[in-house]
Amino acid sequence: MKKIVLKFGGLFFVSVASGFLSYACGLNTHQALSLAIFVASIMGTLFFWEFRLSFAFLGSGLLLIAKAIDLDSFLKLTSLDVILFLAGMMIVVSLLKDAGFFAWLVALILRARNLSGKKFTFLVMVISGLLACAVDEVTSIIFMVAAILEICDYYEVTPTPFIIISVLATNIGSAATVMGNPIGILIATKASLSFEDFLLTPFPIALIALLITILIVFRWYRRAIAEFDRHIEEMKADDILLKLISVPMDRHLKTSLSVFGAMMVLIVLHRRLELLLGLTENTILLIAPMITAGVIMVWKRHKAREYVERGIEWWTLLFFMLLFAQAGTLRHTGATDVFARLFADFARNNSGGLLALVLWSSSIGSSVLDNVIVVVTYVPIIKSFFALGYGSQAFWWALLLGGCFGGNITLIGSTANIVAIGLLEKEKNIRVRFRDWFGIGLTVGLVTTLVAWALLLLKNYCCTF
Amino acid sequence: MKINEIMTKEVKTLLPDTPAVEALKRLFENRISGLPVVDAQGKLVGMFTEKDILRAILPSYVSQVGRFVYENSPKTIKCKIAKLAEAKVGELMRKEVVKVSEEAPVCEVAHIMLTQNVRRVPVVDADDRVKGIVARSDVLDQLLKG
Repeated sequence: MKKIVLKFGGLFFVSVASGFLSYACGLNTHQALSLAIFVASIMGTLFFWEFRLSFAFLGSGLLLIAKAIDLDSFLKLTSLDVILFLAGMMIVVSLLKDAGFFAWLVALILRARNLSGKKFTFLVMVISGLLACAVDEVTSIIFMVAAILEICDYYEVTPTPFIIISVLATNIGSAATVMGNPIGILIATKASLSFEDFLLTPFPIALIALLITILIVFRWYRRAIAEFDRHIEEMKADDILLKLISVPMDRHLKTSLSVFGAMMVLIVLHRRLELLLGLTENTILLIAPMITAGVIMVWKRHKAREYVERGIEWWTLLFFMLLFAQAGTLRHTGATDVFARLFADFARNNSGGLLALVLWSSSIGSSVLDNVIVVVTYVPIIKSFFALGYGSQAFWWALLLGGCFGGNITLIGSTANIVAIGLLEKEKNIRVRFRDWFGIGLTVGLVTTLVAWALLLLKNYCCTF
Repeated sequence: MKINEIMTKEVKTLLPDTPAVEALKRLFENRISGLPVVDAQGKLVGMFTEKDILRAILPSYVSQVGRFVYENSPKTIKCKIAKLAEAKVGELMRKEVVKVSEEAPVCEVAHIMLTQNVRRVPVVDADDRVKGIVARSDVLDQLLKG
């Protein structure tokens, strides 16, 4: 009880203080009030994670009552396009789960001949990274953890290092495409960036970051990898492992893959198709999962309701909707213009300085907060940078890469981290301590953020890649 | 018709400290899929079923992975089956139990069984002490008799 009172006290104090401080820094009453309510919502999410939706509802209601924003504008800021994209993707993922696609994919690890510790580590990282490019990080990490637990159980090695390794790769991979992380599609829609834009900038950066992380991990976990080698040598049981998880490539799986493949074609070529058909930017990107979900619900009509009611995480989507609207309110009131001005002054009106500020603050912020919260807070600020004449596409990439790579720094930095260590504790009764994670997490988080910074600067100033 | 007219009054129960393996043996011997769990005062504290055993031996992520086919019995499951020897009923049972009072109509119990997806419902008094148990077959039998 004392803890709850302290948390509420902290929440109240920080919100009120942020309101007064921002007023002192030049924000007007409406702006300061909208900021205080937004901060209260975020603090509520931080202190009472399981009640985050309650805080989102309450905060939104307060903003409307305080006349910080009108209802029409509030509803427009909910980014329904992003929500529908995510809902569509969740239905597609439900189909793929049912078809056994993910199990088939992770079983590829088991098919590796002459498996060694390094080979296993490499495969785990590559498949984790690739999977995270195509589907949400939570779905991809659940399957990777399932496969790693089975394999490590078989070889009687502790799974902890390999699960951490998989999570690191998942967070890095999720930055590579529009679909890997909700912040990807959010940034794409707010900045009018296409899938091709992602292939040109964050994809190669994430790939380089992943390769460097593989090298770091080979060194950091050399003892665990060597132990794995010893156990493989003792057991020599490739054939038995091969039969452990088996998903035949049957007609259902092939058809599901075709449906998914068709959606991917639409997503990859969306900008070309939009130009050809004279559609607004990102129309096809956003509706591709919706069209695919519609086709799936006709094909699998007996399971359509289950996909919608259980496959879509309504709790998460509602939270996102209200969070987007609350952050958008800050821009609506003009509060973010003031902050953008302050940031620009802090960086001495230097775009390189602003880039560093966005990248590093989003990276560090994502290590303690959900990256969606960090990105949602930053989106209106970056938009204000553009309004002030400091705008650059690099800021969006800095936000994306900082938001994803920073999630590796602490064990609460990303949903993938929390899900993975939760499963490890449930299945193996192994508790990953903060310091077990922090060493490797900070190393990988810092190195990958540095790599992103260097490559973004190179791209920004040299215009060659 | 009230449920206390068709319920089985001689109820076999389990205690929370009963070893899970022993409890499972009793289920097999009596050819039933679940038993109510009571405390020392006879108050209902949970329900122990075959499903709880399955939940204990299969991985916790099994409902989230869709089609994930094991050809051979993996070591993870074998290890969990081995750990079952140390588990107690109280650790595995479901604590939130669907229950009805002795005065509940048969139709209401039928409705509960369908909507809550339960095969058997313990019947309790005002102090939550188990007075009987009613199975789906008992309810169906009564409803069809008219």
